[in-house]
Order: sequence, then C-alpha cells, then structure tokens
Amino acid sequence: MSDKLTVSMTINGHTYTADCEPRLTLADFIRHGCGLTGTHLGCEQGVCGACTIIVDGRTVRACLVLAVQADGSTITTVEGLARGDELNPLQEAFWANHGLQCGFCTPGMLMSATEFLKANPEPTAEEVRECLSGNLCRCTGYDSIVKSVLDAAQKLRA
Amino acid sequence: MTIIEPVESQTKYTGTRVRRTEDPRLLAGRGQYIDDVTVPKMIEAAVLRSPLAHARITNIDVSRARAHPGVFDVLTGQDLATVAGQQPVIWFPIPEQRIAKTHALAVDQVRWVGQAVAAVVAVDRYVAEDALELIDIDYEPLPVVADLDAALAPDAPKLYDDWPDNVSGSLTYTAGDPDAAFASADLVVSASFRHGRAFGCPLEPRGCIVNWDTFAGSLDVWLSTQSPNLARDLLAEVFGIPVHKIRVRTPNLGGGFGNKFDFYGEEVIAAVLSRRTGRPVKLIEDRAESFVATSHSRDQRLDFEMALRSDGTILGLRGVSYGVLGGAFGTVGSGPPWASVLTCMGPYKIPNMDVTVKAVMTNRSPYGSYRGWGVPKGNIVHERLIELAARKLGMDRTEIRRKNFPAPEEFPFFTGVAFTYDSGRYADCLDLATSKIDELGWRERQARARAEGRSVGIGYSFHVEPSAYGPSRILNLVGLAHSGFDEVTVRMDSIGKVTIYSGQINMGQGTHTIYAQLAADTLGIPMDDVVVITGDTDSCPYTGYGTGGSRAAPLGGAAILRAGERLRAKILRIAAELLEASPEDLQIQDGQISVKGTTGRSVSTRDVGDAAYRRLLNRLPEGETPTLEEVDVFDPPNMATSYGCTALLVEVDRETGTVSLLDCLQAHDCGTVINPMLVDGQLAGGLAQALGGALLEELVYDEEGQLKTASFMDYLLPTAMEIPPFHFYHQETPAPDIPGGIKGVGEAGPIAGVSLVGSAIDDALSDLGVAVTRFPCTPPRLLELIREAQSRKEGSA
Repeated sequence: MSDKLTVSMTINGHTYTADCEPRLTLADFIRHGCGLTGTHLGCEQGVCGACTIIVDGRTVRACLVLAVQADGSTITTVEGLARGDELNPLQEAFWANHGLQCGFCTPGMLMSATEFLKANPEPTAEEVRECLSGNLCRCTGYDSIVKSVLDAAQKLRA
Repeated sequence: MTIIEPVESQTKYTGTRVRRTEDPRLLAGRGQYIDDVTVPKMIEAAVLRSPLAHARITNIDVSRARAHPGVFDVLTGQDLATVAGQQPVIWFPIPEQRIAKTHALAVDQVRWVGQAVAAVVAVDRYVAEDALELIDIDYEPLPVVADLDAALAPDAPKLYDDWPDNVSGSLTYTAGDPDAAFASADLVVSASFRHGRAFGCPLEPRGCIVNWDTFAGSLDVWLSTQSPNLARDLLAEVFGIPVHKIRVRTPNLGGGFGNKFDFYGEEVIAAVLSRRTGRPVKLIEDRAESFVATSHSRDQRLDFEMALRSDGTILGLRGVSYGVLGGAFGTVGSGPPWASVLTCMGPYKIPNMDVTVKAVMTNRSPYGSYRGWGVPKGNIVHERLIELAARKLGMDRTEIRRKNFPAPEEFPFFTGVAFTYDSGRYADCLDLATSKIDELGWRERQARARAEGRSVGIGYSFHVEPSAYGPSRILNLVGLAHSGFDEVTVRMDSIGKVTIYSGQINMGQGTHTIYAQLAADTLGIPMDDVVVITGDTDSCPYTGYGTGGSRAAPLGGAAILRAGERLRAKILRIAAELLEASPEDLQIQDGQISVKGTTGRSVSTRDVGDAAYRRLLNRLPEGETPTLEEVDVFDPPNMATSYGCTALLVEVDRETGTVSLLDCLQAHDCGTVINPMLVDGQLAGGLAQALGGALLEELVYDEEGQLKTASFMDYLLPTAMEIPPFHFYHQETPAPDIPGGIKGVGEAGPIAGVSLVGSAIDDALSDLGVAVTRFPCTPPRLLELIREAQSRKEGSA
C-alpha cells in the first residue's frame, strides 16, 4: 500500500526491528511480527482491554496504537511477567483464586493489574473493580478476578 | 427403572478446590487461540456483508477486487453454490414446520444486515479488507420485516415468497384440562413478557483455518468450535465428501457460551476459497462482524397467564411464546424458543397447561445457541407470574413457591410437557437461600436504606436447569438430527501414566481439570499422572451433539468413571499376578498397589504398565490382552436436572431509572460437586451474563432492520463496576441416572438471573406496584415504568 518504515522496540528485554506499513497496529506487530500472541484482540476499538500492554511504564491498548508510534519504546507483554518457568505472584494469585476461565481477557487483566498494584499496593475491593472496569471478561463474573488482585496485593506486601 | 452400576473410587480429589491444570500456560501468555495458529502457506480472507436488511442482488462485479495486488481470489454466492450445499439445520422440534435455509454466501437475495455476500482472500487481512471495498454490488431493496409485529401483520411483506406468511410453524402442548382450570380459578394473572435480542459474545470472536487438499480429497480444519464432531459431520454434508477425510481441530477457545456450538457459513467460505486457491485459508471474524454474524438469541415475546386458587395453589398455565427468528435458520433452528415452552412451568406442579411455541421469521440475523438455550425465558414466565400472583394474594413470595414444589418423594417428576425431572429437594434449597439472606444481613440493609428514603429491594428466582443432554433416542424423537451420548477413552501407558481422550471441548469451564480429578480418583493414582486430550476429531472419540446443554461434566464424567472402573479392574488383575495375590484383596492408592490391610510388598502402576506393554513374559496373566485401555460410551437414560434459588440485593434510583447491584447469592444443587471452585466460577460467570442481559445488553434494530448497537460502545457488556460480589452455597442431591451423581451447572446463572432482576426491582419499588416485564430493563424503560406507576398512584389518591 504505502512505503514501509523501519521500527525498532524492546519487548520483554528483546529488541525487535522490522520494516512495516505505517497502518500496521502495534497489536498486529507484536502478535504476528514478533510472534508474541499472548496479547489478544477482542474488539480492536479500545474497549475490551484484552490487548493491554505496558509501554514505557504505562498501560496502553495495543489495538489503538500504530507500530510506528511505538518506535524506540520499551514494552512489557504478558509473556514478560513470568520469571523463567515460574509464574509471578500476580499470576499465581489468579491461579489460586480461579481468576480466569477461558483465559482470553487474562493477559489484559494481568497487565492492568500490574500497573495498578505498583501505584496502589493496598487497594480496596472497590478500587480494584474501578481499575479493572476497562477490561471486559465474559466468563468469570469478575468477583474471582477482584479476589485474585487483592490476594496478590497482600502477597506482594508481605 | 434405572439401575446404575456402583462406582468404587477414592475421593482424594473429587469435591476439592483443585487448582486448574489449564491455567499456568494461559497465565503465561502461552495459550493458543485460533488467531494465534499459523499454518504454512496460509493466506487470509475477509467477508463482504450486506448493508441492507432485505434486498435482491441484481449485479455483482468483482473484477476490480480480483485485480487488486495481493488478492488470490474473490468468491460470490453463485460461485459457492456450485460446490457447496445450503447451511445445515439440526433441530426440527416443530412437526411440519417450514425450514428457511440459505447458502453461506447469499446467492440472489439478502435477508438481514450483515449477511455474507462475497469474500476475498489475499496475502493478509489488511489487503483482503482493501479489496472488499472494490467489490461493486447492485441491490434492489425489498420491504423490510423489522420486528415481530411487522412479521405478523396481516399484510406483512414475506421473507419467503413461497410461504403463506412469515410463520415457520407452531406447536402446542396440552396437559390436563386448562380451560376448566382457568374457569374455576380464584385468580388469573397475566403478562406479556419480552426479552430483547442478545448474544453470547465470547470475548474471542469466531475463526477458522481450512486447508482443502484437492489431490488427497481431504479437509484439514482448525476451528474455534464447541462441537468439532458436529462440524465435521456438517462439513461432510455441505460438500458431499466422506467424514473420514475431514479433520477438525480446536485450539484454545476464548469463550463459547453456545455461540461457538453452531455451524457457520464462514467455515464453508474458507473451505471453498482454499479449494479454489490451493492454499490454507484463515478467516477470522472481527468484533464489528460478530454483532451481525455470530448467532443472535433470546429475542422472544411470551404472552402467558397463570390460574391459581386463593391459597396460592397453581391450577393452570397457558400462553404463546413467539420466537423472533432471523432471515434464515441457524444450526439449531427454532430450538431455543421451543425450549422456553418446555420449561415455562419451571419447578412447579401445574396440572393443567396449554402452551404454544410459534417461530416467526424477521429480517434480522439468524437465531442460534446461547448459554441457557431458551430456558431463561421459560424462567421469566414462571417466576414473574408467581410473584405477580403472590402480590395479588398478599402472600409471601417464598411461601407461594414452596406451596407449589413437587416433594422429594414425587421424583422422577413429569412436568406435563416433555421433561421428567430426575430428583430434587427444592424446598430445602429455598430454605438454604433464605437463611443466607438472613445471615448476610440483607433485610437489615434493606430496612436501613428504606429508612433513609432509598429504594433497596431483594429479588428471588428459583430455576431448574435440565442438563446432561441427553438420551439420544429421546432427542431424536423430539426433532434433533443428532445424538446425545458421550464417548471417552482412558488409556494407561507403558510407564503407568494415564491419558484421557474425549470429544468434549474445553472452552474455559475447566473440563481438563475435572476429568483428571475423576480419573485420578477412580484409578487411585495422583492427578499429576493424568493428561486430558480434546479437540481433534482424528484422535479423540465421537461425542454426540457437542459441548453444550451442560453435558461435559455429567456425561463425560460418567463415561470416565465407567471406563476407569474397568481399567482399574484390569490393573488389579495384572498387579495380582505380580504380587501373587488375588485381585479382590488389592487396593490402589497414589499409584501404588498392595494387599489391603498390610504394609507388605507393593507394585506401582509403572510396573503394571511395563507388564502390559513391554515385558509381558511371566508378568501379564495368561488370557489377558496386552495394553491398558478402556473405551466407554455413555448414553444417559434421562437428563439430570439441577436447580437453585438465587437472591439479589439491588438499589433503584427513582430519578434516573438506574439499578445498582449490591449483592448476590445462590443456593444450588448440581448433584455431586467435582470441584467447588470451578462450580462457583460457572455460577458466577453465568449470573454476570444474565445480569448484563437483564439490564444492559440489547441488539437493537430500527424499522429498516439496521442494527443500532453494533459495537462495545453501544452493546454494553457488564464490567467489574456493575457486577456484584457473589456467594454460593451447595446442597448435593446425586443425579440418580448418572454414574457419579453429577448434574450440569453451566447454564444455571443465565437461566436464573434475568427474572431475578425483575423481582428485585419490583421489591425496591413495591410501594409503587411496578412490575418489570421487559428485558433488558434499561434506565429509560424503568423510568417509564416508575412514572406510569407514580401517575397511577396519584390518580387513585
């Protein structure tokens, strides 16, 4: 369609460089260009939150950003949370509290909660619900996700 | 009379909150959903959809699209119809009904907005979508049948020229003498209930990858489906190729909720594109398409009346349920609205009934499966009417329910219409729920709020969930062109580890975990020693139907228990040879086999595996077949009916018509609870969907048949801010017809939760005498009810 541009970014500690069309979304770049398919697309209009990633320390909807806009940035996706083959405390808390069913919204939930817990180490249930209100889940009814985040907060404080 | 084989097993895992085996890889971002799958040489397709609700296609010109760089092929309905049959329908519940079938791509007429009319396959999705814009189509608009009233109007335009009207068919069930019951009643309550269009809306849209090898004559399919065996059979039907040449594999499913049970045109479109290009074709539905292309559901009007004696005894029920179908039949036809009529008496003894289902075509998207499958609207009928009656009679809402329950000793209980409920302790369940309301202090909360002038209400819903679909011959008898049995293979390998192969699908409900729990307990081995394989028609057994009808746990579970029991016996026979003991004297615990009551010598399942597969000499008993494998096919003699009593605490804002959900509890009985954590997850998730459907979610059509709510900005899914906390309480009444006593649980929430919201709002506004009959009960609709009630009250004052 149009001329390609070279973009380069660091994702989960690894640098990815590629030529891409300006219209390529960051989500498609991460999923198909980098093979990091843990970031999911549920609406491609910024509502469902499944594609939430952390770009330069802040959560971003990867479906609403173009890959070229993320040139030079440092990104964490869900694949960057576990340490080796060990789940991190937030992931562990989701496991222990049945905070996921189909797992499709889960990467977005984890990324939103990661940012949130950093700024709010002692949240109330109401605050957790507000934080997660930008992430849709169709399976769990949310209660178990709220419990997971509260449980993780407690473990991270200890 | 049913005789159930006794099942002997340890219960180390069953009944405990075991963490899911599925979770770690999903949490790590290592799941593999359909759009994560890449097949070598794959190209990507996109679909052009009709912008009009009803029109004739007079011309299609694809030449510009075909010439676009990167495009491999463009497909029209005419092209497709030369190699593919019409989309199959599997449910025919209404005798003699007219069946409206269509091809995967419209051939000469479109009958709903979003109907697929052409498809492009290109190097990638971006290019395919570019090319869609280059397809030129001329439409000649036809008069639109936008809703039920328009469809039933005497001079209504017809969707199908060769039909006398827009009615596919109707069916009436009668029991007792309904006319006499209504004539002798002290009280008759009636209402016209409406449930708007909604859909399951799994967060992952649908998708497939199809590779048609024309030289091998085979179809290799990756499909985000709940029913791979059904999809394979139906692909064979559409293309006239043998079933054994088709392989359907399912990756992880990002939710299903019935929507992914149905068989869609996109599978067929991708297959034809693959056949024509010689390349594997991926076709993913995007979110915008999902609102018009994934099965719609719920859309129904139910005009019903209930006759009672002054003491609250229900004498009769009669009414008509209008299923507002779309422009063509989906896979399950008019099944869900029919199921509403089958369940409209709910948990109550109603001796006299006259109930009718009428299936009506409109220019809307096709109707299909959504968790609950008609039963949520049966629940609206019985739960709303019984509360209206309680109000008229001045009776307590729980007392009137209790008065009409069948007693535990009256089971198996024939409802009068099709279903026979297997077992139940309904009054106990009701008591459990009301005791928890007291325990949680809801009544005090309500009293305090009312004292402050706030409108807080408590709602109830008692539901039944016919699960474990179902006895194959009975399903055939009521119009299903498919079966209901489940088959499973339990195999122990040469080192004593176990693999279970099942035709059921894991779509988030945790099937792999509960199957491993059951197998580990039956075989007496550690759960870590069990692996579950699903989602491949080449390697997994055939299951009737698919994963729907809350059947994975009861039927798959029963089959595992039965196969496991036989495998355990063989393991003991081989171990007996190794231990020079009698099999009857042996026990297995944690994979170690020893003589009961002794601390002497033992052998492990590893030793048994070795004796059965590798070193047979002097180890495998004479006459014993090598290998360790058992297959079981379980076709249930009856369904298993689970049930529950749900309660909800809400606050209504009379100024804005908004409803806040404060707290929610459910007392539930699904027989044997395999994993309470997962059962609670099913209940909570289902309730959240119902609460969304009761208050927020609606696929709204205008008079031109245009969908007005085709994005997440307009079709509102509930978020963590709307959904309340949940509390669940279980009583366990084992299913008498299912080995292991397991009943299904997947549809409890959606069935219970809609009438529940109506009940709670009514209670919050009891001084006004509001009765919610239309769902979703959006703020404007509730405000209208409040204002009507206020002016009625002022008028009478």
